[in-house]
Formats: sequence, structure tokens, C-alpha cells
Amino acid sequence: MASSGRRIEPYLYTLPSVLLIAAIMLVPLVIGLSYAFRDITLLDPMSGDFVGLDHFREVYADASFWNALKNTVTWTGASVVLQFSLGLVLALLLARPFKGRAPVQLLVFLPWAVPSFLSALNWAWLFNPVVGPLPYWFKAAGLMKTPDNLLSDPQHALWGPIIANVWWGIPFFAITLLAALQSIPKDIYEAAAIDGAGSIARFRRITLPLLAPTMVIAILLRTVWIANFADLIFVMTRGGPADSTQILSSYIFTVAFQRLDFGYASALAAVLLALLLLYACALVGLRQALAARN
Amino acid sequence: MLIRLLLGCACTLLCARAGADTTLRLVEVLSSPERTETLQGLVGTFEKQNPGVHVEITSLAWSSAFEKFATMVSAGDTPDVVEMPDRWLSLYAGNGKLESLEAYLAQWGETAGLNDRALQVARAVDNTAYLLPYGLYLRALFYNKTVFREAGIAGPPKTLEEFHAAAQKIAALPGKSGYCLRGGPGGLNAWIIFGAAMAGNNTFFNADGTSTFADPGWVKGTAWLVDLYQHGLAPKDSVNWGFNEVVAGFYSGSCAMVDQDPDALIAIAARMKPDQFGVAPMPKGPSGKAFPTLGYVGWSIFKSSAHKDLDWKLIQVLDGPAGNLIWNQRVGALPVYKAAEKAPYYSSDQLKGWFAELADKDEVPTLMPTQLPGFAFFADSLAVRTSQQALLGQLSPDNMNKQWAAYLTKAKQKQARGK
Amino acid sequence: MPPQHKLYWVFHYLLLAAFMAFAMFPLFWLLKVSITPNDLLYSEGVRLWPSRITFEHYASVVKHTRFLLFFRNSLMVSSATAVLATLVAGAAGYGFSRFHFRGKFFIVGLMLITQMFPLVMIVAPIFRLLSPLGLTNSLSGLVIVYTAFNVPFASFLMQSFFDAIPPDLEEAALIDGANRFTALCKIIVPLTLPGLAATIGFVFTAAWSELLFALMLNSSADVSTFPVGLLAFVSKFSVDFGQMMAAGVLALVPVCGFFLFIQRYLVQGLTAGAVKG
Repeated sequence: MASSGRRIEPYLYTLPSVLLIAAIMLVPLVIGLSYAFRDITLLDPMSGDFVGLDHFREVYADASFWNALKNTVTWTGASVVLQFSLGLVLALLLARPFKGRAPVQLLVFLPWAVPSFLSALNWAWLFNPVVGPLPYWFKAAGLMKTPDNLLSDPQHALWGPIIANVWWGIPFFAITLLAALQSIPKDIYEAAAIDGAGSIARFRRITLPLLAPTMVIAILLRTVWIANFADLIFVMTRGGPADSTQILSSYIFTVAFQRLDFGYASALAAVLLALLLLYACALVGLRQALAARN
Repeated sequence: MLIRLLLGCACTLLCARAGADTTLRLVEVLSSPERTETLQGLVGTFEKQNPGVHVEITSLAWSSAFEKFATMVSAGDTPDVVEMPDRWLSLYAGNGKLESLEAYLAQWGETAGLNDRALQVARAVDNTAYLLPYGLYLRALFYNKTVFREAGIAGPPKTLEEFHAAAQKIAALPGKSGYCLRGGPGGLNAWIIFGAAMAGNNTFFNADGTSTFADPGWVKGTAWLVDLYQHGLAPKDSVNWGFNEVVAGFYSGSCAMVDQDPDALIAIAARMKPDQFGVAPMPKGPSGKAFPTLGYVGWSIFKSSAHKDLDWKLIQVLDGPAGNLIWNQRVGALPVYKAAEKAPYYSSDQLKGWFAELADKDEVPTLMPTQLPGFAFFADSLAVRTSQQALLGQLSPDNMNKQWAAYLTKAKQKQARGK
Repeated sequence: MPPQHKLYWVFHYLLLAAFMAFAMFPLFWLLKVSITPNDLLYSEGVRLWPSRITFEHYASVVKHTRFLLFFRNSLMVSSATAVLATLVAGAAGYGFSRFHFRGKFFIVGLMLITQMFPLVMIVAPIFRLLSPLGLTNSLSGLVIVYTAFNVPFASFLMQSFFDAIPPDLEEAALIDGANRFTALCKIIVPLTLPGLAATIGFVFTAAWSELLFALMLNSSADVSTFPVGLLAFVSKFSVDFGQMMAAGVLALVPVCGFFLFIQRYLVQGLTAGAVKG
């Protein structure tokens, strides 16, 4: 009696989430993916013929796709690296109690609460030399020769949304890592200190390994989200100038709602999904390898 | 006393229930709080005239209206009456979603009062009226009078040469530019206006269905605009300017000239004083003609509506001569009724610019080929990307126009094949 | 903890100040634009503080728009989602943490996959799914959709917090005769308060600022949330920056309140000693 109860237990705990996700997300996901194999034009009742792998062949040959892919890598990589490292530093700073910690914590977490749409408009405003101060500061700091709008420069426009994304996303890592840091029992640190370990050694030998599982999950999910996150780019640069800030996710939106080609958009989305899956497997594999080594 | 009160209440309730309660769904897409208020006023008039009928207004935010409305319709959530912009007409009418209004127009007394252009645009798709237009939007040149005075320019430019010269004088002033170029989304109109002016005609297609964009005249227009940008006569950032940046530049005086529709007048007039800006007809090209683009918006009935006659009655109230005047004063479009042009509202100083444009035979209002399949992608994506590449020097004007011509020729052929 | 050098604290505060400046400056700008009168918005845009301030935008937002209704809707949806998602995800996270069972790999994999597909492609299918159930144009529909989206991340988060607590604690309780669920509630949950607080915080904020589904699934103003309300300030001809920023500042108030509330739990360290070995 006890053993069969035990065997069902895990399923009982996970059942509500599985049901919810299967109903609300998996079914639409499968439907959405199925569009990739059909010729679907929005609102056209006559469309919908099965076209097999035609769309995928088109993707391979599409220069805009490769451009968007390259931009996606830059966008995601830069955003995640900066958000993570700065978030970790902030979490470490906040982990020790100090006077005024509560209000400081609140203030540095606030950017997370601003809707991305508002944040994008605000940053676009800040970068615009007509109404914002940043171009003048960039010029004063020697980063620009004349106070221009960073968002109009095809070489560097992507950095505008990246900065806005970092501003918005540091609290995510900071909160996650802070909560994880708080879960590490203090006596482990005390024991190490008594054994003579300095703070850097404590960080490397205790903090990092114990944080590793949380870090991996946080980085994995955040990367996946950022790769799909086109809101900031869409509002700040619309993918321009000349597609220099177009990432896969915004390109998919363009194809879906400007070309009205849901079939091709879905194929692009399927390719993105496959690439992200590969990335996830690689990251999890890496973590298993590291865990095995320890 | 109490019993009579109770009986009275019961009676009212029963009577209210007995009056057949029909609900019409009206969707507006170019929403703003002021427009919604005006719309509610007009709808109130309709409801008073038709007791028992209630109109539910859904206001979509314009920035996401297209995607939202398309998602709604594709999932079967269709309204009865919808505000239909010109760019959307070919999509919904072409896919058989809209009801033809020809029968209603034939019986309506006010149809004769509509001006020719209104009827022409109403029938843009398949030569059948799928919408009743409420306003026409003609591009005109807004210019900053203060900056012009500063640069020593007497009046608005009448030809492209004068335009170029004025832009040069203004760019010589510190921190100022001549033209607020809209290099980002929505900028297609300017390329077409200047291209057509240089080419001396606004025919988009030859008799055989090939696009005229690759013709030397149009290429010269593209080159002229690219040249303007590359010589600093338009701000460096304008390569990616959308509507907000363009008007921010105009309001703040950092660029002195912009081409816009009459509905932008309301926003500009709210932020600048009458002696600070003026409106003039678009400057003419070497052939002595100019081709400002003409847009339109109207009301359409969905085929899936269960109350088409009531819908038409609603449209009559919204868009009859009386309602149209009230509506256009709010939205700032040019009138669709011949008689309306004489209304006092239209003789204001700023609107004079447009009426001068309409009266000038050498200013030829140009309808863009919005009814071509794939035009939305052309305007919002292909044209934006290639024109930005041209401005940045990554693509020659010749090549850009060739790409446009190729795309439009294919679209025209697709249309001819009947999809 | 061994005492730190004074130099360390100087460095500590300097870095914190830098972070605060970076976080606060754009918010300060939001505030600044919200109190700038419309006629100075473009002409004095670059100044750090306008020459004349006004509260007309705030008055406008409160009196002439339906923002209070939108806030109320957002608060209801976000709180409901936060609670529901944390409960469901807590259970799932616990299951992942404590058990090895057949199908675990697939369930985890499926959860991951649902996060990887661009949402814009599944909006239409979800609409079609919820429409016959009457869940479109409703707040409960939004709660269900938001919970479904947030459960995967919340589950992984909760799993990592449960992982940090040794299973011996429940084993001890089980040996004493309690059932697992009671052990979970009475012993484990109090130890994961920082994790719970973080999860609730994330889900609340994610639901609070979500735009795509709130826009696409709901049409009438009665069931619109506040991000959708912000969009209304962007009409075809003008972006009403003053009012939009005022609404944005007002929206930060409930979120601040929420953060203040969970903050206490967020920094509550584990009481040392209770978890030995």
C-alpha cells in the first residue's frame, strides 16, 4: 500500500502543472508548428495547402534569415552576459546586511516592474538628441563625434536595445541569485573562514558550486526568453536601420503580419525552436559534465 | 403608493425586455480619446433614432490595430461595422469579408452629394464599393515659418529646385536641417511623391503590367532624395525616423519642412502657434506638376453581420452629410461631400493650403496601388529596408528602383491571375 | 562572519551607488517627462528638469481615462496568477526535486520547449481554443494563460530552492509517521521562504507587465489591463508622452508596495543551525 502510494506521488505533485501546460500551451504550440508545413496566408480562406518542407528550403536560402540569426546571437549573447555578470555582482553586494539595504534593494529592483513597452519608449526618448541627454553625454565621453542617435547608426544600433534590456533584466538575475545565496547555510562559510580560507577562495569553492544549479537554470531560461524577446527592438528601432537590428523573433513578426505569410513565419519559428533546443541540450550536458567532475 | 411604484418598476422592466434588444458591434481603429468621444456622440444619435438597438464600440490602439484586428477576424470574432483604412481594404475585401455597399448606395439620397474622388476610392477594389469613405487625406507641405524667417526665405518652395535651395539655406543655420525625412516605417509616401514629381507622371504601371519604377524619371527622384540626405539637408538620424521622430523634429524646429496629411494638423496645431507654421501645396517637379499622395478611410460592413440593414443605418448617421462634418472636424480629413467644402470650418487659414492644392490642376492627387496583393509588405518592409540601404549608400538608387519594380510587377501579375 | 576592511565597505557603497544611479536614472526621466507641460516637452526635452512643472498629466490620467479600472484589473490578474502559479509550480518543483520517476525527463523537456516558441505564432491558436470556452475577453482567461506560461520557470526556480534543502529533513519526519505532504507544508516550506518570495515576485511582475496576450485576447475596456491602457496613449498622430509617463509612474506604486512586502522574506536567511549536515 505504501509503495504504490509512493509511486504515484511524484505524478500527483506534477499533474496540475502538466495538465495546465498541455492544454494551454502544447496544443496551440503543435498547431502553430503545423503551419510550417502548409501555405497559410492570413485571412485567406483559400490558402492552407500542404507544402511539405518548401518553407524550410526557403529559410535556408533567405539572406534576411541569416542576418537575423547573426543579430539574434549578438543580441542574446551580449544581453545575457551583461545581465548575468552585473546581476551577480549586485546580488553579492546585497547579500550582506548593511544600513539602508531595504530601500536600496527596492530601488534597484524597480526597473523590472516597468512594462517593456514603456521602457522601450523611455529609452528611445533618452537616445534621441532632440529630446534626450544621452547623445550629449556620449559626445562628452568621447564615444561619439557628434551627438547623434545611437539607434540610427547601422553599425551600433543594436546596442541601444541591449542597454535597455540590461537595465531591465539585471533585477532578474539579482533576485534569483540573491534568493539562492540566502539559501546557503551560513555555517559553511564560518567553517571555511575558521579553516583560513580568504573571501575569494570562499567565493570560488563554496558560493559558485552551490549557486551553479540556479545559475544554469536562470541563464538557460533567460537566454531562451531573450532570444524570443523582440519588444524592445520593435519599439526602439523597428528592426532598422536597414535590418541591422532585426532579430529572428522580430523578423518572424514581420513575416507574419506584414507579408501575412503565417506558413513561412511558422517555419522560421520552428528553426528558432530547434536552435534553442540544441542550446539547451548543450548547456544541460555541460552542467552534467561539470557536476560529474566534482 | 408603494404598490403603484412596484407595479411601475415591474412594467418598465417587462417593457424593456420586450423591446427587441439588438447589439451592433462597431470597431474603430484610428482611436484616440477625442475621436472615441465624438464617435460616442454620433452613435448616441443613432441609438435615439433606433430604440432597442445598442451599439458596442471597441476602440483599438492604432499601433497594434492591424495585428489585433487580423487575429480577431481570423479567429471568427468579427464586428458588424468597422473603420476601414485604405491600406486594409484590399485585404478584407479581397478575401470576401466585406459586404458590397452598391445596393445601398443606389437607393440612398445622399449618394449624389458625394464628390467624384470619394466614389472613386470607395470602388478601389473590384470596382465595387466596399466602404463608404468619410475622409480624404492629401499630402501637403508643412513648413516652419520661424525657421524660414531666420534663414531669410520669403515663402514656401514652389518647385523642387526651390525646395532644395531652401533646405540648403536652412541647413547652414547651426543645429537645423531642411527636411524632416521619414526614413523609417511609413516613409513610402515621400519616395513616391518626389519620384513621381521628377518623372512627371504618376502611372505606376505600363500598359503591359510592368512597373514604371525602374524608369529614369523615377530613379532621378530617388537619387534626388538620397542626395538630399547624404548632403546633410535632412538630419543624419532621420534614416530611421518614424512618425514620432519626424514630428518631434518638426515641433522642436530642428528640421523645417515635412510632408504630412491634414489629420496631422490637429496634433501640430496643438503644439505650435499659428504664426510658427504654415501649409503649402507640394513643390512641383521639372514637368511643372506635383503628385501628392491621396489616402482615405471609411466605414465597412462585414459580410458575416446579421443586421446589415441596421449597419447601413448606422453608417448613414456616422457618415451622412451632417455626421460627416462633425466627424471630420474631429479627425481633420478633407470632406467627401461636394457641399461640405463650403462649410465655414474648411476656410480656416491652415486648411486653405489643402484647398489650394485641390484647386490647382498641376497638383495631381495620386492613389498608391494599395489594392495590390502584398502591398503592405512592400510598403512596410521592402521599401523601408531598401530605401534605408540607399540612404546609407549601401544600395544605388538605380538598384533600389529595380528591386521595387520587380516586386510590383510580380504583384500586379499575381493580381491579374486572380490569385 | 569575519569583519570586513573599511576599504571593502567604501568599494561596496560605491558600486551600489553606481547600480542605483543606473537603475534610477531612466525612472527619474520617466518622472521628469510626466511633470513636463506639453508645450515644453519638445523644446526643453534635453534639460534635466523642466522650467515649469505641472501635475495636469496625473490629473488627466486619473480623471479622464479609465486607468484606475485598468490598475484594478492588473492587480487582480497579477495577484491571482502569482498565487496560482506559485502553488502549482511549487508542487511541480517539489516533485522534480525529490523524486526520480519515469517521464521526468520528458515533462521537464516539454516545459522547456513551451518557453522557446515565439508567442506571436501561438496567439491565434490560443484565441481559438479559449473563445468557445468563453475565456476570451475575460480576466479569468488571462489568469489561466499567464499561469500556464509562468509555471515552467517557476517550477525550475522552486526546484532549485528545494534542492538546496537536504531530503533528510522529510525523511526524518516520515520516519516519525507524518505523511509527505504535511512534512512539506510544515517543515520544508518555511525554509524556502526566500524562494517562494522570489517566485511570487517574478510571476506577479511578469503578469503585471505582460502585453501581447492582454492585447490580443481581450477587447473591451472593462477587462483591459494597464499595459494595454498605455497603448491607448499612442494614437496615430501623437504619442501622449506626458500622460503615458504619468500612468507609468502611477503603476510603479502598487509594484513598489508588492516588492516591499516580499522583500522581508527575500532576505531572510536560513536560520543557521536548523540545517546541519
